Amino acid sequence: MRPVLFALLIAGTPLAAQNVSREEGLAAWERIYAVASHPRCTNCHVGAQEEPMWEGLSYGRGTAHGIGVKADESRIGAESMPCRTCHVTAAGRETPAHAPAQIDDAWRLPPVELDWLGESSAALCAQLRDPERNDGHEITDLVDHLTSSPFVAWGFAPGGGRSTPPGSPVEMARDVALWGGAGAPCK
Amino acid sequence: MNLTVNGKQHEVDVEDDMPLLWVLRDELGITGPKYGCGIAQCGACTVHVDGIAVRSCQLAAADVDGEITTIEGLGTPDALHAVQAAWVEHQVAQCGYCQSGQIMQAASFLDLNPEPTDDQIDAAMSGNLCRCGTYPRIRAAVKTAASRLQGV
Repeated sequence: MRPVLFALLIAGTPLAAQNVSREEGLAAWERIYAVASHPRCTNCHVGAQEEPMWEGLSYGRGTAHGIGVKADESRIGAESMPCRTCHVTAAGRETPAHAPAQIDDAWRLPPVELDWLGESSAALCAQLRDPERNDGHEITDLVDHLTSSPFVAWGFAPGGGRSTPPGSPVEMARDVALWGGAGAPCK
Repeated sequence: MNLTVNGKQHEVDVEDDMPLLWVLRDELGITGPKYGCGIAQCGACTVHVDGIAVRSCQLAAADVDGEITTIEGLGTPDALHAVQAAWVEHQVAQCGYCQSGQIMQAASFLDLNPEPTDDQIDAAMSGNLCRCGTYPRIRAAVKTAASRLQGV
């Protein structure tokens, strides 16, 4: 995490004074979970299952990625059909509904350790605050992901009629910083 | 804009967001890649960029970041690529419209995964649709090509 960015995110928040209450932390977590449990996040934050998910357009709950895609152990489909066969790496080209999304990064799934598809609020809370169970990420690393990842930026503005999680990457990052400042409380 | 296609450099005067498929077919007269759906849902337009299969119908010309290979550059009548030879051996094509995309997909797949399982073959070829239903012959030809490339 870039220290300056972190300082900017928490500037003007109670975290700056290191006195974020547990209640404020829990309230921030509720907002975090509303985003993290949204299909725009859980479509990719899947576990060892082979398929990413396709929820949040006209596809129903529980719909897996079509076209027989298997991300496999490489998490980029290198064993069969690579993600990049359809997901072009390019910035700023909004693709219509049912066409593959394009972002300025290599399309891939997160590490399997960052799987939380279908997890409850309590379970995800416990996972995300524990580097042993979240692929070694400290809270500041999570804030960094939210502010720097092209995947996250696209998730909040996917275009093409795709559904979006509430808020913005900046608001989400601020909430995670707040939650961390309160000691990452879970109910 | 400069593009390298089948080992030959081309200078084309096109809009940045013209799909590569349009550049190939309408500007360069390379008509092996076919138009099917325009949104990467059928695979008829599949070509290689630096050896990786991509759907040229929705790849903007300005976003091409490597050398392009089309079916015309994969093999020659005198020296077929192993996948093309297997396609002939199994008489895969029926109407033929999707087949250049199928072959390009299979060639790239076997380059990345020379010893695929049956499930991986099915997964790799699932994005290439064939309205004639030649799928059983496609699967058989991919397996034959894998064996030949392995020298078996």
